[in-house]
Amino acid sequence: MTAPDPASLLHPVAAGADLMPRHVVRSRLLGRRLAIWKADDGFVNVWEDRCIHRGMRLSAGVNDGAELVCQYHGWRYSNRNGNCVYIPAHPGEAPAGGLRVATFACAEKYGLVWSGGSPDAEPPSIPALEGGEVLVLRSLPVNAPAALVLEGLAGYSFRPTAALGTDTPITTSADAGNPHSVTVTATTTGAESSVVFFIQPAEAGRCVIRPVLSAAPAPEERLATLRHHARALEELRAQLEDSSPAEAAVALPLATLEPLRSGGTAGAAGGRHPQLQVRVARKWVCAEGIAAFDLAPVAGELPSFQPGAHLDVHLPNGLVRQYSLTNGPDLTGVYRIGVKLVPEGGGGSRCMHQSVHEGDALDISTPRNNFTLRRDAARTLLIAGGIGITPLLAMAQTLARQGLTWELHYFAQSDDHVAFDEMLAPLAEGVTTYCGLSPQETGAELTRITRHYGPMQHAYLCGPGPMIDTARSIAAEAGWPTEAVHFEYFKNESARDDSSAFDVTLARRDQTLRIGAGMSLLNGLRNAGIDLPSSCEQGACGTCIATVLGGEPDHQDVYLNDSERAAANRMLTCVSRAKSGQLVLDL
Amino acid sequence: MLRLYDYLLSANCYKPRLLLSMLDVPHDLVPVEFYPGREHESAAFRKINPLGHIPVIEDDGFILRDAHAILVYLAGEYDPARTWYPTADPRLLGGVASWLQFAEGTADTASAARLCVNFGYEFDLEACVAGAHRLFRVLDEHLWFREQEGLDWVAPAAAPTVADIALFPDVALSEEGGISREDYPSLRRWTERVQRLPGFIDMPGVLPVAPLPYPPT
Repeated sequence: MTAPDPASLLHPVAAGADLMPRHVVRSRLLGRRLAIWKADDGFVNVWEDRCIHRGMRLSAGVNDGAELVCQYHGWRYSNRNGNCVYIPAHPGEAPAGGLRVATFACAEKYGLVWSGGSPDAEPPSIPALEGGEVLVLRSLPVNAPAALVLEGLAGYSFRPTAALGTDTPITTSADAGNPHSVTVTATTTGAESSVVFFIQPAEAGRCVIRPVLSAAPAPEERLATLRHHARALEELRAQLEDSSPAEAAVALPLATLEPLRSGGTAGAAGGRHPQLQVRVARKWVCAEGIAAFDLAPVAGELPSFQPGAHLDVHLPNGLVRQYSLTNGPDLTGVYRIGVKLVPEGGGGSRCMHQSVHEGDALDISTPRNNFTLRRDAARTLLIAGGIGITPLLAMAQTLARQGLTWELHYFAQSDDHVAFDEMLAPLAEGVTTYCGLSPQETGAELTRITRHYGPMQHAYLCGPGPMIDTARSIAAEAGWPTEAVHFEYFKNESARDDSSAFDVTLARRDQTLRIGAGMSLLNGLRNAGIDLPSSCEQGACGTCIATVLGGEPDHQDVYLNDSERAAANRMLTCVSRAKSGQLVLDL
Repeated sequence: MLRLYDYLLSANCYKPRLLLSMLDVPHDLVPVEFYPGREHESAAFRKINPLGHIPVIEDDGFILRDAHAILVYLAGEYDPARTWYPTADPRLLGGVASWLQFAEGTADTASAARLCVNFGYEFDLEACVAGAHRLFRVLDEHLWFREQEGLDWVAPAAAPTVADIALFPDVALSEEGGISREDYPSLRRWTERVQRLPGFIDMPGVLPVAPLPYPPT
């Protein structure tokens, strides 16, 4: 019989009881260091114990219940998929999508946590442990190779719980049913008990014995049983370590475990291609004229996102629309979006409201974030108008979870128009809603809300165009610098002029293109084979941004703020053009 | 005002510093340059402690040396609830004293290894590391069974005692001396419980832990 490759199997890596709330277990399997942590939603993460930034051990990190924070420079990794979601040294930027810690398959069985192997591998099934309540005994690390330990365990002797403290004769038998465990059964008059020893091959010359007792004893006999086995195993360990070769002569195959990749098929990075298929898990009316959707993965885990992120939904009618995620870090497993019905609009919201139902499949992009939330502000003001609540709700939940100082001001047409009650309720302390105010009254409230500016304060605005315009000018008057006021428009309502014609030089390609009147720069680039990512394609979301090296851009977007426009070093290629005859882009 | 002759990076000085903070006793820290100045061995400091050791406290004219002795005194003098040094229960008190003795062992092994690595002391590092692992195995098993009994602390009481404070720095700083705690999951959970106690203060090398979602009231 050839033994299966140890790297293809699942091995125990921790006891289920080790996964305390907000704790990170440190473990090792086949020479690979592991950090294991349970999030508040119950998901067990088995990750490589290494921050991808500077190699710090993540098992020394902070488990905040939804994110694991490295102690060295504060990189935050999200529950489930291990994506880096925040880098404190770059507080205003969304981390690149590929920044991700290696994750491993995980299963729970017989009170133990199992990992390693391929994603579809399963923990072993042991007949002695099936069909009853089991008791996980104290595990024991041993400085001896796994093969030697398995051999020694076959000679383990113990008394069934019912025969503890007696001297009735015991017979024991061992059954090495699979190459990574031994079952030892002890029999005496009227009592029989089995212990299954699973071996965690930690590294060459060192392993962890993880014993599980077949039948859980009565509560009053539990401690005595645990102590009996701990003593017996301790004795066995002393013998094993004495007889173990001083140098670890029996080397384990230290195979590299493949990280579990998931999250659907990765589409092309550029353009507006769908990247992921999801299913509408739930659709409900969450306010007057607003439908909410929970989008669940068809397979695997959804890619992570940061507060402020949006995704493209490719609608059944061919339109592509952008919706902000309302999820805070605690809502995992779905993307939650809110869609306001605009009867006189282009047909996107009508399609979502009328033609998309629970159970339907939808193509979406992975989440993108051009409206990033800093988590280092002394105070954060969130100001929402109408459906503009969606990204700010995600931000409020993130700030609340981290215990930062924030307030959310939510302007709605009426009580009936206040969306996502159930998500707002736990945030109530920081939320103020304003219903049915006139533009003058809204202006007065905005003046009151923004009247105290201080250093390291940031404001985030999302809502209808006129409201954002008003809020920006009021904040500017109150002394808020443009860098401190972040905004996201639903759409670009400014008049656009595409009558200019200009040349654009692509610095990295040594190529010059002619962009004629009526053609967008983005389409000109695409015609030349340069597939820039884009999303709203009307100058509101910021996805198609490019770096300007020369020439004077003619900004026609509503994404850049006044100082960014004046700096003239970045532009949105979907709507902006050139005032000078030539532009040089860093492409 | 109570004065503590202290060195920030000393595991032994951290012990009284921790308890002073947890008992909320106002005090002044008098820094003694242990490294590289070896000020604790100077003639001036030997007038305070002829043995040339830190920590030492001076409380209203009363001078006391040795970390564990200081813990016992502070608990007796400043803990009206009498839980940190539980004199009312002889068996519990005996248990606490026994773990204080155990902590002399962790100081001589785990903390001695740290002195070799960080401060150039010429002890037998290999022996220190092996000795620390022997003690950590015992302590980890002890704490695992405490957890099985529903108890959080080293001594069998509902509240922490000076034994927890005496052991914490040697354990929490062990990796600086090359003693990994990977094999001691119960020890890792216990250090987090100590770190979540009200009034806990850290020192360089002790990393912060996450607050619990629903702190016990």
